[in-house]
Amino acid sequence: MADDQNQIARIFPVETRFQKIAQQPGGVPRDQALRQAFAAVEAVKPGFDAWLDGEMQCLVDAVARAQAGKPAAEWAETANLYSRHMRDVGTTMGYELLSFVANSLCEVLDAIEAGIPCNLESVTCHLDALVLARQPEYRALSPEQLPELASGLRSVADRVSVVHTDG
Amino acid sequence: MSKPSINLRDLVILVADGSSYFSMLVHGMLRGFGTSKVIEVRDAVDALRIMTSQRVDVLICDAKLPPHGGQALTRAIRRKPDNEHRTIPILIMSADTREATIKRARDAGANMVVAKPLSPLNLYDRLTWIAMTSRQFVDCPNYFGPDRRFKNDGNQKGSGRRKIDQPAEAAADSVDADAEPALRTA
Repeated sequence: MADDQNQIARIFPVETRFQKIAQQPGGVPRDQALRQAFAAVEAVKPGFDAWLDGEMQCLVDAVARAQAGKPAAEWAETANLYSRHMRDVGTTMGYELLSFVANSLCEVLDAIEAGIPCNLESVTCHLDALVLARQPEYRALSPEQLPELASGLRSVADRVSVVHTDG
Repeated sequence: MSKPSINLRDLVILVADGSSYFSMLVHGMLRGFGTSKVIEVRDAVDALRIMTSQRVDVLICDAKLPPHGGQALTRAIRRKPDNEHRTIPILIMSADTREATIKRARDAGANMVVAKPLSPLNLYDRLTWIAMTSRQFVDCPNYFGPDRRFKNDGNQKGSGRRKIDQPAEAAADSVDADAEPALRTA
């Protein structure tokens, strides 16, 4: 079967418009391009806290639905969405711990979305950690600088993931 | 030796991500690199709509892009024979860089996976790699996309795993610098 497919595979060169143009001279030199890109990231940082307030509120609202006894289908996907948003930009914005905690929460929520029995404590402890991680004295810290917090969240996520994997 | 620069002027880059804030960040980085036009969309439906109405040179999309993920969007683009964007470079952004995730992106036809959180340096280097590295395309019943083996230099007997692979000497001009691990990014 595989051999049949290999025999009829067509292999051909492709030069995309992107490659043609990107290789031409005349672009922004690499060092300058990177300086400008880092400057663009810095330029959006002042609005990050306000954005984070909104995302946190949406996450808290979603978890509140869980606490009110709603089934996972009515809140887990939404909670995961906002958690992913925070994870994806936290480190870039200088909030490394926030990304770490949000990533751990995403793992828990992935498992809940996949159908493992919902343990709300595993979610709420992450919410508390997110609140902590955005405090000025914590935001620039790495997980390695807070080993107890990091290993605690890790073990919570691992426990859920094991159930997820086994189940 | 200094690292190469790329020219992104006159190129159109489509950024597809469900998060407006994240998209804004990527948009800012790309503009900093000198890209003249960056388009943002929040889901795959809008991405496909944009690609039917105008030229796009590169797609950068989230692995979790609504509604069905970046891999599904990649497959939709690669699968359609009359799609003029069928061979555009596609970068999938993912916070999950486990091997299985990367293989799924590769098997969908993505050129590369770039890790989230994203830094300007990572993004620039991935774009540079795609710009500077020629990769053949494979069209077969269950796959259409960049050659997933990356390195097509044949084996000791002069042919690759596929029966139609060229001898090593003839294929040498299509050899890429790094084999498969290059798909896995920082």
